Amino acid sequence: MSKPDRIALEAPLDEAFAPVVRLIVGAIAERADFGYEAMDDLQLAIERLLAEAGSLGHVSLSFEVTEGQIRANVGPLRSDALAEALQEPDDTPGKLTLGRILSTVVDSYGVEDAADGHIVIRLVKIAGPVG
Amino acid sequence: MTEAREASRERARAEDRELLRRYHELGDAGARERLVSRHLPLVRSLARRYAGRGEPLDDIEQVGAIGLIKAIDRFELDREVSLATYATPNVVGEIKRHFRDKGWAIRVPRALQELNARISQTIDRLTSKLGRSPSVAEIAEALGSTPEEVLEALEVGSAYTALSLSAGPGGEEGEGDPLDSIGEADEGFERSEDRADLEPALGQLDPREREILRMRFEEGLPQTQIAERVGLSQMHVSRLIRKSLAAMRDELAS
Repeated sequence: MSKPDRIALEAPLDEAFAPVVRLIVGAIAERADFGYEAMDDLQLAIERLLAEAGSLGHVSLSFEVTEGQIRANVGPLRSDALAEALQEPDDTPGKLTLGRILSTVVDSYGVEDAADGHIVIRLVKIAGPVG
Repeated sequence: MTEAREASRERARAEDRELLRRYHELGDAGARERLVSRHLPLVRSLARRYAGRGEPLDDIEQVGAIGLIKAIDRFELDREVSLATYATPNVVGEIKRHFRDKGWAIRVPRALQELNARISQTIDRLTSKLGRSPSVAEIAEALGSTPEEVLEALEVGSAYTALSLSAGPGGEEGEGDPLDSIGEADEGFERSEDRADLEPALGQLDPREREILRMRFEEGLPQTQIAERVGLSQMHVSRLIRKSLAAMRDELAS
């Protein structure tokens, strides 16, 4: 198995930079040969996470690109609201939680505790069928 | 000749009024459908005025048709005006709101707007042809463009301004939505006061946006299937999902 390509960036937690992050995520997904819909899903997942993460400071994002798959790490973040939102079960019928959104648009996600009460959100998105 | 044309118009108005009466007084859904069908040429004519501004004409017509339906639903039988006269500002208003919500006001270069409009059609065409979602490289190849240009055009096309949640569906402050009833019967998401949920803001959305969210996150349908069901392009569905979620988040934060 080949070594994954790694891309890391730090961006302000500022709505004005959301399009920049979105463009970068799209470019990474394009390199991983994602279909349009899978790319759009991953962009949406990260967009929603950053929207819930507040607007203070910066956020680190890192991506590991292997064949047909992207693993993304978002954080460390200190956001009680985000941690609380992701602790909600995502399979409760009729509830539109952040977890429900993530579980719909990515193949898996998880939350890990980091130092000083921070959390890191890990996402895995598979490219889907390609030609 | 003029008299014959005037007589024909008068007959059409009388038929409209009868259909409106059947719909509003008797709840005849078939009459409503006939009204929509009879006035679609008006919608197409108005939509053409907004062609070439970076949006596929089909999408503009779809948006305009929503304005027509709202006009039919809002029409009061004691009005002296014809349905066509009453519907025109509704259709135009809906189209203008669509452009405003899409954020074209950010002065996107025309070349990128045009590429964006072509991308929307190309995605739908390639999805149908390939039986799967096309990659950016495939979209770029079909358009004679580069992946980077496609990504940039996708991004400018996805720019939006969050819908004012205090505005009615036609953009008017404080106005109720006559289409609300469409979303009520099958509205799957329950309301909640939980901080982690977006449901408290769900009711602020347009019925069509609620329905799209329900299909995506309750039924788990992919964008392609949702696009087929609601008769919009896949890109348009994507934008509506993003806009709706952002608007709901903003509503909760306010």
